[in-house]
Amino acid sequence: MNSFSRSQWGAGGLALLIGLFLFVFLIVPVVKVVYVAFQDPNTGALTLINFVDFFNTSLFRESFLNSIYVAGGAVLLASLISIPLAYFTTRFNFGGAVLIQTLGIVPLIMPPFVGAVAMLLLFGENGSVNLLIDEWFGFTIPFMEGLNGVILVEAIHYFPFILINLSAALLNIDSAMEESAQNLGASGTRLFRRIVFPLAMPGYVAGASLVFLKVFDDLGTPLLLNINNMLAPQAYLRISSIGISDPMGYVISVILVVFSLFSLWVSFLALKNKDYATVQKGGGGLMKRDLRPWEKIGCYAVIILILLMVLSPHIGLALLSFGTVWSYSVLPDAYTFAHYGNVFRTATQYISNTLLYAGLAALIDVVLGTAIAYIVWRTGLIGRKWLDYIAMGAVAVPGVVLGIGYLRTFVEFNVPIIDKPLSSWWVIIVIALVIRRLPYALRACMAGLQQVSIMLEEAAENLGATKTRTVRRIVVPLMSGGIMAGFIISFATASVELSATIMLVSAESDAPLAYGIYEFMQSAAGRGPGAALGIVAVLIVGIATYISHRVIKRREKELAPGVAVAAQGV
Amino acid sequence: MKITKRIFVQLTAGAVLAVGAVMAPIQAVAAEKLVIVTSYPPDTTVTVGKAFTKATGIKVEMLKKKTTAGIKYLQATAANNTSDMFWASAPDAFEVLKGDGLLQKYTVKVKGIPEKVGAFPINDPEGYYKGFAASGYGIMWNTRYLKAKKLPVPNSWADLEKPIYHGHVGMSAPSRSGTTHLTVETLLQGEGWEKGWARWKDIAGNFKTVTARSFGVPDGVNSGQFGVGVVIDFFGLSSKASGFPVDFLYPKMTTLVPANIAIVKNAPNPGLAGQFIEFLLSPEGQEVLLDPKIRRLPVNPATYAKAPKGFPNPFKDKSIGSAVKFDLQLSKSRYNIINSLFDVMITYRLDDLRAATKAIQTAEAKSKGNAGAMKLIKQARALVSKVPITAAKASEKDFNSIFKKKRKKATTKVTGRQAEFEQAWDTEIKANYAKAKQLAEKAASM
Amino acid sequence: MTDIRPEAVGVTIEDVSLSFGTTQVLKGVSLTIEPGEFFTFLGPSGSGKSTLLRAIAGFGPVPGGRILIGGDDVTHLAPWHRNVGMVFQSYALWPHMTVRKNVAFGLEERKIPARDIRGRVDAALGLIGLLDLADRRPSQLSGGQQQRVALARTIVVEPRVLLLDEPLSNLDANLRIQMRREILELQRKLKLTTIFVTHDQEEANTTSDRIALLNDGVIQQVGSPMELYDNPANRFVADFLGTANLIDGRVEKGQDKITFQADDGTLIPLNGTGVEAGPGTAMFRPQDLTIRNPGEDADDGAVLPGRVQHREFLGSLIRYAIRVGDNVILVDDSHQAGRPVFDVGDDVALRLSVDQVRILAG
Repeated sequence: MNSFSRSQWGAGGLALLIGLFLFVFLIVPVVKVVYVAFQDPNTGALTLINFVDFFNTSLFRESFLNSIYVAGGAVLLASLISIPLAYFTTRFNFGGAVLIQTLGIVPLIMPPFVGAVAMLLLFGENGSVNLLIDEWFGFTIPFMEGLNGVILVEAIHYFPFILINLSAALLNIDSAMEESAQNLGASGTRLFRRIVFPLAMPGYVAGASLVFLKVFDDLGTPLLLNINNMLAPQAYLRISSIGISDPMGYVISVILVVFSLFSLWVSFLALKNKDYATVQKGGGGLMKRDLRPWEKIGCYAVIILILLMVLSPHIGLALLSFGTVWSYSVLPDAYTFAHYGNVFRTATQYISNTLLYAGLAALIDVVLGTAIAYIVWRTGLIGRKWLDYIAMGAVAVPGVVLGIGYLRTFVEFNVPIIDKPLSSWWVIIVIALVIRRLPYALRACMAGLQQVSIMLEEAAENLGATKTRTVRRIVVPLMSGGIMAGFIISFATASVELSATIMLVSAESDAPLAYGIYEFMQSAAGRGPGAALGIVAVLIVGIATYISHRVIKRREKELAPGVAVAAQGV
Repeated sequence: MKITKRIFVQLTAGAVLAVGAVMAPIQAVAAEKLVIVTSYPPDTTVTVGKAFTKATGIKVEMLKKKTTAGIKYLQATAANNTSDMFWASAPDAFEVLKGDGLLQKYTVKVKGIPEKVGAFPINDPEGYYKGFAASGYGIMWNTRYLKAKKLPVPNSWADLEKPIYHGHVGMSAPSRSGTTHLTVETLLQGEGWEKGWARWKDIAGNFKTVTARSFGVPDGVNSGQFGVGVVIDFFGLSSKASGFPVDFLYPKMTTLVPANIAIVKNAPNPGLAGQFIEFLLSPEGQEVLLDPKIRRLPVNPATYAKAPKGFPNPFKDKSIGSAVKFDLQLSKSRYNIINSLFDVMITYRLDDLRAATKAIQTAEAKSKGNAGAMKLIKQARALVSKVPITAAKASEKDFNSIFKKKRKKATTKVTGRQAEFEQAWDTEIKANYAKAKQLAEKAASM
Repeated sequence: MTDIRPEAVGVTIEDVSLSFGTTQVLKGVSLTIEPGEFFTFLGPSGSGKSTLLRAIAGFGPVPGGRILIGGDDVTHLAPWHRNVGMVFQSYALWPHMTVRKNVAFGLEERKIPARDIRGRVDAALGLIGLLDLADRRPSQLSGGQQQRVALARTIVVEPRVLLLDEPLSNLDANLRIQMRREILELQRKLKLTTIFVTHDQEEANTTSDRIALLNDGVIQQVGSPMELYDNPANRFVADFLGTANLIDGRVEKGQDKITFQADDGTLIPLNGTGVEAGPGTAMFRPQDLTIRNPGEDADDGAVLPGRVQHREFLGSLIRYAIRVGDNVILVDDSHQAGRPVFDVGDDVALRLSVDQVRILAG
């Protein structure tokens, strides 16, 4: 009894610490920003007049609808991309599966604005594809025009969220579920539509809602494509315009946050009581089938087409990084290695900074994620669910809002010893990344913990291990797959984060990669080196991801069938 | 700092150590380092910074922020300032900082810098910021693009109004880019409030896009997304120097304005900051500006002797930048109003404006000599160019304070809110554009 | 419930082989299952019994050999074209559908008109007594109820053959006995050819018309439960079904009598029918022996002297382990209150009826 209460005290203390961390670095900064939205711009008094103005302004109503249209369209297009990929890789035995599972993640590890630059060169009105089409057929296709251009870029960037979640959900389906339907006469698309997809629905909804929310909040892509009449760009433009203190920017931020929380809540409702994985007994995952030769050809054709499309930003970027001048032509005029030379001479600090920041952030994220998961699932602490909700809520806070909040909150807090405001110390960038990526890590850790039977813990305690030692020796090793998955997804996405960090970088030597690329891309001569830096970033993060993926796979085999890794996002 | 970081990298790679243990080896930062907040790209900052370090041995830390973000940053961190200098183009950005009391005075020791470039004083008369280079606004174009689309090379602002350029022009918004703001203001001052706005709307009717970043314009021209861009000279000159098939010219009506540098109030290293200014204005510092990646007009006339052939020299060619006498006070008095008006009338209503312009252009081409139709077209043009407020109102102090950044005191009484006015303008403008389109279509069918 | 009554068909398995990678799971299995028969694949885990069942349903890789259902070769037919009903070990009830939807699924796939579906689903649910739970979700049902729903879902489509893959293994002991009776009753009622996979000999014995005992991908013996028990074909069968005493040695043929000489020299007389001389294993069941004090008369059969090494009280009987020569022989002695009991260390004489000894080859 004594050890029980002591362990509860320990968990309570831990929960309190985490809660404090989230309060200081998530809630306070956001509230600071939100507060402005409720201030009368003339008198400073609390008011709702700004929200009345928002809904009275036709431009904002239009922006609101545009944002919903783009987010919805991106979800649709991302689904069209990821459903076949997820299905083929989980359902059939063929060599392409590993390729897709790895390459499918690659879009995530490139800042979307970099992708937009490359896609403009390839698919823009006078991009390679349209120049060719124009030459051959005498017309052009407006891939990148207006809101649909944003949809295209966003879908290509964010579809991995659906792919990852859907694949994990498909892998978790007991093969007997599918076999029993086949046994009763269902096959092909009917089988998929009636049994497989509904069972994978929770995973799909989780991924789709994340895509919706991310696109809804995304700033860089519409800005780069010069689309102003959407919510996030409006917020940013208004907050950062020269000399203007228009509360509308803050109002829009509040609306972004509220709407994102709302869509999280909707997906939460949709998923409630649908945790099918726990209902199913036995195990196995979808049965994999060998493909007949002609099926294989068809499969590869579909997959290559999709991969070509989703990798087009990388292809464009690679061309850009090796090209001398690329202007109004199908391909660059000539090729050179000079840009890479330039990058390795002048820009290596971006790379080491990124590895440091993203690595540290991901490490802290999985530690926090594991702790929160354990507190939520294995203790009876009052209010423990709120820890989960608040940490997950971070996903609904746009990076810009967090960045502004940090600047406003921490500028007056001086860090001892180095005598600098916290808001201009590089550690604040790491903290911002920790908060921004915590939801990803937390989801993965939760998934990992849920797969550890509580009996395994009880067995350890029965043999004399304390709570702490049980966690360290039994729980953490068993959920290591989930932890690694959380680490990877946090690390990879943190490496390319720009929206919050751009506000917080206070010295060039502290700047991470995405910032460096952005900066290079702001000058005529910097386009090539910027692209080269982008390729280097993709390679580094890609290789790191691949290695960790292999590690997970190996561990999974060692622990099979007890622990299966689901890199379930959020 | 560097050492600590390397340790971090190793630790993270190993991904083993607890966070607490890593925090220990942090040490105080060396003070002998100049921190400059700048809007310039690395091509400029790295090149100049290297030359400076080579000449003086002082290390420089460049902090890249968009001009607007740089102002925000200095304002937000003023209470605990860590930046030494602010280095950017637009003089009005420096005016904003000066107004907020965020700059400190400095007296230059170097000799040989004239008082004016074009019609513009090089240094702040009150001594808060110094001009180190001149920049003028002009037109850049992609030669391949113009050739493929069979477009002539434009050489004045008026050219950009021509129907032939419809959908081929790009520009940034004044609220987004300090330099663009100057371009807009120059034209308004040169042509007058009503005519100036009419000209801008006629040009904007041909816009392909309004970019959110000022560099978005040269970027778009360089890659061929659109053919013609309204840009500051060094964007055009450096793009050309980087090998892109582009060219640049100054139209007659342009302002040469100094690009500036200033020392931030309570700078940690004011001494080093002074040295940086001196270097920048010295003959060797001025020569760095001619680097193909930078290509700015030096403020020291002597430096032009070393410039490549064909490089514009405003001290010799008096046609550059002298047509308009730029009134900085007037510009300052209506700064935010101009931004807001441009966004409401052009940036956010670009589709409506374009549609109206297209309709008018079509109608004009069709109904040459048809007096009735021409009358309708004239009405349509008048509707399009209509501005919701007068020049006098735009400079009105009370009205401006609605659009101001900060209320000076809680007691300052302000009535009305920016969002309210903008919504009213938007309703009016949208109706005008729609009506103009309708009239033009009617004219075309006559 | 007379409307679910398909024509019973037989199943023929001809030389079916199957490998996973380099592991051969089925090594040329041949079998004939009669129409309407309750047939069981019995064997330890890894014996290939489930693989064989899944091959009949069409799951897993296409095997070598042929599988015929009602005379039709289905070896290469897709699972959904075979019309064999399978009940899965995990039941595989779809959690996103209600009980009714689950049961209706197969009928919908067969494009049965909606108005007919309702009646047939109700009938099937009535048959298993779960009509009132039709609108629940599987997660709201107990294990036994889930089992019944899985059964209803399968039989409602009137499959030609019913396949049961260890359907009782997830139930507790009492429920298991009840369910196996219900399944058997249902099978008799529907006269449905049924193949049942289990590793539990009691389940197999109580339900089956015939059993195929598999080990290591090979059929060891096919026959009625009693045939397999009484006349096992080899050591494996003898040992797997019930308890057996197995003693290695050789059969010696004298002029007038045949005896079995164990390797340790112990002699066991045989009745001699159908036995060839040569090495073999003598098999007899613990209940085939009686235990006496040494010296008590033995009118026929063999008397083996031994010593009690171990004793287990099992309620209705006492099982002794008796050391005889180098062998330990198990003996079951029926128990009644007051009947004398031997202690560990006691010398005893075992009497073995000659007719009960079976000689297993090699």
